[in-house]
Amino acid sequence: MDAVTYPNESVIEFIQKYMIPLRVAFDAQPLSTDFNLKWTPTLIALDENGKEHQRTVGFLPPEELIPSLLLGIAKSYFDRERFSEALSMLEKLLKDYPKSDSAPEAIYLQGVCKYKSTHAPKPLKEAYEQLQAKYPSSEWTKRAYPYRLL
Amino acid sequence: MGKTIIWETKMDVAMARAKAENKHVLLDFFNPG
Repeated sequence: MDAVTYPNESVIEFIQKYMIPLRVAFDAQPLSTDFNLKWTPTLIALDENGKEHQRTVGFLPPEELIPSLLLGIAKSYFDRERFSEALSMLEKLLKDYPKSDSAPEAIYLQGVCKYKSTHAPKPLKEAYEQLQAKYPSSEWTKRAYPYRLL
Repeated sequence: MGKTIIWETKMDVAMARAKAENKHVLLDFFNPG
């Protein structure tokens, strides 16, 4: 991460704009125990109250880290039922990083956000159709499979 | 000198900034080697 991802200009700008970066050693206590740390690098997205919403383990290149962090922020808003803010993050992810590994999950979560904010099932079916068309082998396409019947 | 990420190293400082600036925290557990 130090050699490739963190020096990347887009990563620096993204983190400056959206996040407070906090870096601690893997064995730093009490955080290591509090967060059940088992391997490095482990990246965790926390909301402003310190609650965890997203965790990744292992190296991520710049073009995967940024969408992963966008997804983490979106999940944070989703978990607190702040759907319009979650959708804003997901739309940015899908617009700027449609080929990233985070994109299929973003489409799935986008459908769920829209469903939960409108109670109309159509966005779930649309999410499945979009996943099937763009990412047919994704695990998120399989998870959305039942929505084809809506 | 190019830009770099300015990391916080204390949880309480990072959380205070997160609240004040209405941002999320990226917590990176790393191996200093």
